[in-house]
Amino acid sequence: MVSSWGETSPEGRLESIDLIAHLIVFSAFFGLFQAQWANVMSLAETPPVKVKADRNGITLVPDPAATFEAITAFMDERLAQSRDFFHETQMVLDLRTRPMRTDEISALCEKLYEKSKVKVVEVRLSDDLSFSVEGDLRKPSAPKSGGREPENSAPLIVRNTCRSGVRIVSPSDCVVLGDVNPGAEIIAQGDVVVFGTLRGLAHAGAGGERTARIWALSIRPNQIRIADLVAVPPRGEKPAPNRYEVAEIQNDVIQVITI
Amino acid sequence: MAGKTIVVTSGKGGVGKTTTVANLGTTLAKNKYSVVMIDTDIGLRNLDVVMGLENRIVYNLVDIIEGKCRKEQAMIRDRKLPNLFMIPAAQTREKNSINPEQMKELCSSLAAEFDYVMIDCPAGIEQGFKNAIAGADNALVVTTPEVSAIRDADRVIGLLEAAMLKHISLIINRLNVKMVKKGDMMSTEDIISLLSVPLLGVVPESDEVVVSTNRGVPLVHDRGSKAGAAFRRIAARLNGENLPPEEDGSHGFFGRMKRLIWN
Repeated sequence: MVSSWGETSPEGRLESIDLIAHLIVFSAFFGLFQAQWANVMSLAETPPVKVKADRNGITLVPDPAATFEAITAFMDERLAQSRDFFHETQMVLDLRTRPMRTDEISALCEKLYEKSKVKVVEVRLSDDLSFSVEGDLRKPSAPKSGGREPENSAPLIVRNTCRSGVRIVSPSDCVVLGDVNPGAEIIAQGDVVVFGTLRGLAHAGAGGERTARIWALSIRPNQIRIADLVAVPPRGEKPAPNRYEVAEIQNDVIQVITI
Repeated sequence: MAGKTIVVTSGKGGVGKTTTVANLGTTLAKNKYSVVMIDTDIGLRNLDVVMGLENRIVYNLVDIIEGKCRKEQAMIRDRKLPNLFMIPAAQTREKNSINPEQMKELCSSLAAEFDYVMIDCPAGIEQGFKNAIAGADNALVVTTPEVSAIRDADRVIGLLEAAMLKHISLIINRLNVKMVKKGDMMSTEDIISLLSVPLLGVVPESDEVVVSTNRGVPLVHDRGSKAGAAFRRIAARLNGENLPPEEDGSHGFFGRMKRLIWN
């Protein structure tokens, strides 16, 4: 857990240190702050990357107008100057205003790790979509007998078709506005709703929630999983549904109901 | 004005990328554009065989990038067309002999001199693929109408979109109109509904492809070939002409009945 600027502000120390020591600390700190500020101002009017520190940790927000080279050069400098401060911290990369290519993202993450062992644990691609660099998102603790935890209730909305090779993991429900092509995987702790044809893999109730359901305009998947059960579609072709289809567990077996 | 760099890729091997590069390059050159084709399949080069220029190779792509020769020394002019050139790959090296940044540099310097730079991508999604797409701003994804090729094309399109390549189009190769009529093969509409990229053209299945590869003369030199005609239409569409889409037999009676029952 990184301490934020607020905790080390001179105001906080006012009462606990005697006057002379306080003055020394204050001027030293102010000098440091000035040096940092001067450095930032000398680079450009707006820095290529805003380093935001808050309660939860540090977030890097690259500027939409900055080139990738400017961003990496800026981060190099910041990390070199404040090596101990950033050493082994975990950071979040916020790409909502300035999208980056996947190779740029991995190059930046590698550089951050090389310089100060900074781990980028999360990359935010949009308000709803972020990917976790560590691996699977942590599963929430087992739901109480009443139902799901309220803080996880906002569904993850994916606003495009999921192509083969895409893996989406949601800690709550997941809504896909598009198709899920074969080779794509949608894994959700809650329900999976596909506003299109589900042809890939969908796993609803990934944490063990047997009441989870899979909804799609057309369910013709490689495989569907609900909680701990797995099902494959029956052999042969079947007629297209008129409106939509729902998959749920009935009598310990996954059933697909066509509406 | 800088030329267009087009990478022809597919994911799956054997669907017709090299054939497409050879025939499209030849057609564009016949239409008086200056074209250079680059084979980036290091270790498994094929473009030279299809173009019939394998005996003329002195320098190759890796030599240019390592600085052993100038790019003009490695470019081989086509036997019949003076404005068509080819840069062969190295057969005795491996795909990690070059990296994406070097390809990008080479492609931008070639785009400054040629109207079209066509890049023949190797199969797969690893280093060879990454090298090939680095220098391109347009992509042609080639697929055949069978499930495995379409699955791989879908993956490749996802990777191209993630690499923020701007223009991605589809070419459906080896379409067998009789089988589509009978309902045994996926139709153009089925394929486009899955892949959701604009269709540039459909090339029919043809025995002439094997013959032309063996002889080392691209199909389009032969006026009578149907596949050649398809490539000529595709080249016209690349240049911006708006030709109507090809018939693929999916509107025949049996095809429609089968589709009605299936879907």
